[in-house]
Amino acid sequence: MGGTDALLAARLAAGDDHALAEVFDRFGPAVYGAAACVVGAGGGAQDVVQDVFVELWSHPDRYDPDAGSLRGYLMLLARHRAVDAMRSELRRIARQERHYRLTIDESPPSPGEQVLSAHMASEVRTAIQRLPAAQRQVIELAYFEGMTCREVASAVGIPEGTVKSRLRLALAKLETVLDRQLLEAP
Amino acid sequence: MTATQPDVPTGLRARVLEASQRARAAGEPVPAVPAISPAEAFSRAADALYRTLSALDSAAWARPAIRDLDVQGLVGHLTGVEDDVQRCLAGDPAVKLADHVESTQAAATRQAGHDPAQTHGEWRDAVSRTVSLVAARGDDDDPEACVALHGMYLPLRALLIVRAFELWIHENDIRLASGLPLAVPEPAVLRLMTRLAARLLPVAVAGAGLPGPRRLHLVLTGPGGGTWDLDMTDPADAGEVSIVADAVGFCRLVADRTTPAELDPYITGDHGQAAGVLTAVATLALD
Repeated sequence: MGGTDALLAARLAAGDDHALAEVFDRFGPAVYGAAACVVGAGGGAQDVVQDVFVELWSHPDRYDPDAGSLRGYLMLLARHRAVDAMRSELRRIARQERHYRLTIDESPPSPGEQVLSAHMASEVRTAIQRLPAAQRQVIELAYFEGMTCREVASAVGIPEGTVKSRLRLALAKLETVLDRQLLEAP
Repeated sequence: MTATQPDVPTGLRARVLEASQRARAAGEPVPAVPAISPAEAFSRAADALYRTLSALDSAAWARPAIRDLDVQGLVGHLTGVEDDVQRCLAGDPAVKLADHVESTQAAATRQAGHDPAQTHGEWRDAVSRTVSLVAARGDDDDPEACVALHGMYLPLRALLIVRAFELWIHENDIRLASGLPLAVPEPAVLRLMTRLAARLLPVAVAGAGLPGPRRLHLVLTGPGGGTWDLDMTDPADAGEVSIVADAVGFCRLVADRTTPAELDPYITGDHGQAAGVLTAVATLALD
């Protein structure tokens, strides 16, 4: 026996809190690093690390030592949780943007960049640049210029329904592209 | 990646460990095993042995099992134990300090020449009487009320777990004699056994007079296992020792059916003190 992944998993399943501390000491920095790569170093990454270890401790049976290393499992969990955090942040920003557009006296020029960390903003900007030109245009006008769908339609010279469908397509594509980028992050 | 890993922020470790323990208390195994009563554990252990005995051919009953007993004699020993348990429940003082082997030897040796089916039936009837007597005491019976049998003085519920333990161990003695694979108790039954063994461990270590740790972190892995932090009675200058072992293997060690070397536990802390604990464990065996 020893400190192998299989033994660590068995100890976690047996409720061994010492094993959890050992796992954190061994893999915590790597998990934090993986989370920070996606959401940036700071509170968000710490939340991800906490989620990952609480998940491992609450459901140790979900880790199968025969399927791969504990480090690999934790890193995968970290990236999934970090991407989930990014998605939540994107949705929150989208909700906030809509709220700003509906508020007559408040129209901050670039609320997304005020909220996102520099890293997250950069990732989102890059993903937007890779969108087809027609979709990128409506996203930028709606989310960064604060225009309503009607204003975007008028500015671009297309029907309002087309604006909405391009926005839906662009957002779906952004989520997919961001997921793939973040999952492939080192 | 490893070379560029950032330092973990100060306080994150403590925050993560605290949040984890809020989500799930230390010590409790996952997946959780259903809680059963000691009486149910005894019944299930008896049922398991009954099934094993039912599958034996006549030659198997004559094979050497333990001590000077063949399989049939061992089953006779178990019938004798049931007789003593029933006397114990009736308050007979004669069984309080009676020797576990000596007191049942007559029941074991009188099986010689009997039809194995008769031995099997007598044992099963004896178990049924024990189950009925326990059930008759009802749920209103004080669970802390102690009974005395074969030098043990312990609550009835603990005695029933000891009996489940004994039936499982002897079932495996019989399976070993018959060339059958060893049986493993159901997790719910094993959980009661590991909890009782952990509770008795400090007493065993103190009684063995071997140098042990001041505090023992015991981790028994596998279904029916768990984790315990046990305060021992050793001097304050002794340290903390952690022993991680397979739950079934540990119970076999408690029954003196395996050795610490075969158990191959994962130890942290003073190995000499851990060895003292593991040697003392086997003194809990009744045989």
